[in-house]
Amino acid sequence: MTALADARAGFPQALAHEWIKFRSVRSLVLTTVATAAVPVLGAVFVAATGSLQPDDTVLGGSLSLSVVAQILAAVVGALVITGEYGSGTIRSTFAATPRRATVLAAKAALLAGLTYALALVSCALAYLVGDALLEEGRYAQGKLLPALFGIAASFAVAALLGLAVGTLVRHSAGAVTAVIGVLLLPSLLGPLFGDAQRWVAGISPTAALQKLTQTSDATAETVGSLGPWPSLLLVAGYTAALLLLAAGALRGRDA
Amino acid sequence: MSGSSGLPTVVGMIEARDLTKRYGDRTAVDGLTFTVRPGRVTGFLGPNGAGKSTTLRLVLGLDAPTSGTATVGGRRYAELAAPLGTVGSLLDAKGVHGGRTARQHLTGLAAGNRIPRHRVEDVLDLTGLTEVAGRRVKGFSLGMSQRLGMAAALLGDPEVLILDEPVNGLDTEGIRWIRTLLKSLAAQGRTVFLSSHLMSEMELTADHLIVIGCGRLLADTTMRDFIETNSRAHTLVRSPEPEKLRDLLEAKGASVRLDARGGWRVDGLDANAIGDLARDQGLTLHELTPAHSSLEEVYTALSRDSAEYRTRQEALR
Repeated sequence: MTALADARAGFPQALAHEWIKFRSVRSLVLTTVATAAVPVLGAVFVAATGSLQPDDTVLGGSLSLSVVAQILAAVVGALVITGEYGSGTIRSTFAATPRRATVLAAKAALLAGLTYALALVSCALAYLVGDALLEEGRYAQGKLLPALFGIAASFAVAALLGLAVGTLVRHSAGAVTAVIGVLLLPSLLGPLFGDAQRWVAGISPTAALQKLTQTSDATAETVGSLGPWPSLLLVAGYTAALLLLAAGALRGRDA
Repeated sequence: MSGSSGLPTVVGMIEARDLTKRYGDRTAVDGLTFTVRPGRVTGFLGPNGAGKSTTLRLVLGLDAPTSGTATVGGRRYAELAAPLGTVGSLLDAKGVHGGRTARQHLTGLAAGNRIPRHRVEDVLDLTGLTEVAGRRVKGFSLGMSQRLGMAAALLGDPEVLILDEPVNGLDTEGIRWIRTLLKSLAAQGRTVFLSSHLMSEMELTADHLIVIGCGRLLADTTMRDFIETNSRAHTLVRSPEPEKLRDLLEAKGASVRLDARGGWRVDGLDANAIGDLARDQGLTLHELTPAHSSLEEVYTALSRDSAEYRTRQEALR
């Protein structure tokens, strides 16, 4: 037997493999860069147009476009796995790491770590930009800490939700549509449900994010009275459940 | 360790036992049992749709068998922690994301299985891809993709190679290269298991054959035995008086058909008997050639028989 046959590989190796695959696909890198850039650009835009409502906060106003960035994070999460199904790379991935739960865990760790770190930096920067550009004293400030950590976590959760949906759906177009639907439809369709709007709209990861940014848009009537942190926990909870479901599907399915 | 057949399981031996795979109503692989041994090139032959690729996917743990087992060196593929150092495989040459470069694809696989980085350059060099290693795979021809697939298969310096139609899309020079490479790998004591639907290619590359049709085993034998057992001898005869010759041969009970190259193809009388007969009757012969049906014909007949058998069985239900 050759020396290589005795090599052991586990989660760290799977993670290294995922990282190399991630950074060698341009569409993933570009979408990730966009995820980080959009909140900062949003802060500049809101300050330049003076479109912020008088009752809004500096933090909420600066992070106006963070919802869009969060959706992009979810799209990245979906593409990380659907791109492999689309190209057939998934078979060489499973040939290298036959334990599929390890593959999914490596993808999840990579996505969560990357989106958390990027969102943390990007949203902090957006706040600083907004704070510098928005008219002094006109708006309530909003409390940056510890909300910022929750905001970054909501990006990570969105990316993982995308990964779970992508794993279940397997096709890029279908998964991206589904994941955008999960993030956007609750708030779009919420008003149709009358008094139940706060329940429907409140379950979306975007609702948790809006509550955390303390924007005046996140009223109890539209997204429910559940606090920002419990709201984040709720989203994290069902994302975890979906990921487990995805892991089960991955194990039982022919590749 | 010993296999269920009672024979000792050798490192690098591929074993399928009663391997069955159904997709809904369709049975793709139907109770296959075979052993692939190290030190020789084993061809896996069957027409398109016979279940070759499915069988290879079952061996590689990509698909789960409906029943039965497939093992490499006595272990299921999924039990291998760093499989690329034991089993190298090429299933779908185009199964690489087009946006990646060849080197990135191999570097990722190497990182995933703790394979030293220098192996990436080694296999790029071996497969002649060094110059295009920094190019995106999207622009690769099928032949270049096949070479990249071979590079990935060889990356971990594995004892076992499982290759699905590796010569597909290669040019003559590429085919010769892969043939030499596979033979030398087998000569080093490795297990080489390759599928093809091209009999002519197999004839030149494989020492041993596993033939399947409709998901079932048709033959598991050496190449020489396969040809000798299955091919039927016949004789090619040409004469300036073909009609007279045919009547004469048929009168002796031989079956006479027109050969594609001209002349008669005679079954049932050997060349000696035909020669004697012609001389006795004063007939001139311009050609008298004993021949075996080519492997291609044997294989076509064999797979046709199996298809007919299957159809009959289904009609009886």
